[in-house]
Amino acid sequence: MKKWRNGFFLLFLVATSLILITQQVGAQAESPQKTALISGTIFDSQKQPVAGAEIVWSPQPGGEPLAQTTSQPNGSFALVLPETVKGSLLTGSAIRSSNSSEAGLPLSQVLTSTLTLQISRPHFKPDAIQLDQAAVQSLKAGQPVALPEIVMQRRIDLGFWIATVVFILVLVLIASGQLHNTLASLLGAALLLGISYLGEPLRQDLFIFNFNNALNYVDWNVVFLIMGMMIVIAVVERTGIFQWLAYMAYRISGGRTWLLVPILMLITGVASAFLDNVTTMLLMTPITVQIALSMGISPLALLMPEVMASNMMGISTLIGTPTNILIGSYASITFNDFLKNLTPGVFLGFIGLVIYSEFVYRKELLSDSEEGVSALLLEKLAERARITEPIHLQKAGVVGLGMLLLFIFGENVHLLPSVTALMGATALLVWIKPDIEEMIEAVDWTTLVFFITLFIVVGAVQEVGLISFIADGISRVVGSNLVLATLIIIWLSALLSTVIANIPFTAAMLPVVAFLSGTIPGATDKVLFYCLSVGSALGGNGSLIGASANMVTAGIAERAGYPITYVYFLKKGFPALVITVGLLTLWIFIRF
Amino acid sequence: MSEKKIRHIICAVRGRPESRETVTKAIDLALEYEARLTFLHIMDAEFVEHATVIPLSVIYQELKGMGEFAMMILKDRAQRRGVKEVDYVIREGNVIKQIRQFAIETRAEMMVVGEPKNWPGRNIFKAQEFQAFMDQLEQEANLVILRVMPEE
Repeated sequence: MKKWRNGFFLLFLVATSLILITQQVGAQAESPQKTALISGTIFDSQKQPVAGAEIVWSPQPGGEPLAQTTSQPNGSFALVLPETVKGSLLTGSAIRSSNSSEAGLPLSQVLTSTLTLQISRPHFKPDAIQLDQAAVQSLKAGQPVALPEIVMQRRIDLGFWIATVVFILVLVLIASGQLHNTLASLLGAALLLGISYLGEPLRQDLFIFNFNNALNYVDWNVVFLIMGMMIVIAVVERTGIFQWLAYMAYRISGGRTWLLVPILMLITGVASAFLDNVTTMLLMTPITVQIALSMGISPLALLMPEVMASNMMGISTLIGTPTNILIGSYASITFNDFLKNLTPGVFLGFIGLVIYSEFVYRKELLSDSEEGVSALLLEKLAERARITEPIHLQKAGVVGLGMLLLFIFGENVHLLPSVTALMGATALLVWIKPDIEEMIEAVDWTTLVFFITLFIVVGAVQEVGLISFIADGISRVVGSNLVLATLIIIWLSALLSTVIANIPFTAAMLPVVAFLSGTIPGATDKVLFYCLSVGSALGGNGSLIGASANMVTAGIAERAGYPITYVYFLKKGFPALVITVGLLTLWIFIRF
Repeated sequence: MSEKKIRHIICAVRGRPESRETVTKAIDLALEYEARLTFLHIMDAEFVEHATVIPLSVIYQELKGMGEFAMMILKDRAQRRGVKEVDYVIREGNVIKQIRQFAIETRAEMMVVGEPKNWPGRNIFKAQEFQAFMDQLEQEANLVILRVMPEE
């Protein structure tokens, strides 16, 4: 019975497919062979494609449009002219005749010696493209006409200023901590959309973008990649692996603090290359404090090098930092690309950071305890540093290895990192079968909303042209000098990231870097995107507010009685920024 | 109040180096009165609530481990000095509320705390708040509060 049912279903499927294919072929056969078609591509002054521009043909200025279309995301458009035109639409025209008003005139009679296309788009100056006589003759003969590149000029309107002010407001709210990051960007997105919809009826230039346009700016690859990794992290964090690794670092070092520092930095750095830095530091900080207290040394002498290593080594992989995820997705830089082009440089920076940390904390790394290392505390430490969920850890290890292989080799089949992360997270959930409610709760929806709304806010300043003006400005400064552009992107990103949140900064800089990469000779190998990755991440070492991992580490250290103040972090962190950014700059010049 | 026998002393500290004098004073008093000494450590994690993907329960577990460690050091110190009855308590939540609640619950006769001063980082209390809180707590919990000024 089941076989019959399956067979019938298969037959139905084949028959339906055949009917659909036949209809498709029939429709194609019926379509006219000769179509008067005008095609072209629209760019802005930064050579970026302009999507959503309206191209209209109307025989009389201000008259009824007889043909219209919209440019695609790549800026291209194809305007199909009608074969016949109703005479009633040709008001005031010399060719209008009473008997043609209903029957319609052939296009060849409607077309005069020239033809003008009106091109308009919010935030751009309206443009008119006039086709010459030869082009019109081709159209009359039913031949398609391809226009040369069309460049639309930006227009600074009220929407421009509103989007700019909202963007700055969001940055200030995030930097000052007046509002939670997510709330700040949500407020920004709501303001932009609210003003667009409610303001447009009052003044047309209050329109910034509509909801669909806004959603087009959201990079779902980034959102799903982060979500997938959150689930994986939620499983790994409960296994006790961090605590165990930190304790092993102590065991391997044999209590020698000069050796303990680089081992802890390496563990933290490698963990940060695969997991998010905040999670890594949240789990590493308490156990590090305990190790330091057991050894009678200042926890800050271990914590500061750890958090700086975390901020730096996160950039060695595509998934190590949110900024790398943004850059990778935007510029199609793969997991392997980051490994090849940044990881060796990161290890160079790591060596510099180790030497700096050993030097700057040389006094604090000496035990100030009268009794030296406490046997009782070490015993307790060993007790705590246990793998609490060994089975889960094994399974997470297997899935993690599989994900790593897919991240590395998946690019051969164009497998998106977000798909790998989702597959890995799902495999882990199916295999471990945890409490699904608990796991879904482990996904930080607040962060995901932050990213979605941030994309919209940054999209708005892209839409109105602010990013283009910034790109233009930088372009004028650097000209075609790639070395200068490299230095400016790295160091400017690093310095700005010490005071403004690096995620919105990076998101806003991506189109700027794309423009520079397209205009500066030799920058086509995405070198400037790597510069942005280096600068925005390493800038986090320059100040306490430069990275979320710093804030979390400081919060925990303070609760242990060892506060990390803004000034303290600046004193210890800023020289580290200069050293590591300097070394990474050197690496980029060597590599590219 | 001065005639009241001191049987139980609470020492509310975080365990930072600046609280060394506070701890020393509490140990001295415990030895003097042959009293039970309890180190009280309150942990609050509101600073990470919005910054992480990790559930608060996991964070509290980690912070608790760290707090226990700091308190174990103090307990060890007190025992080495000869305090016979010494323990520690870790609580989570709002620091002011938890101190008040613990003082009332235990009916301790004395509490030793560090006087807030300008130190790097976040103070739990501002000077005026601290004074008001201590006055109120002395009345509510019927105990003596001894404030220790950390050394410069």
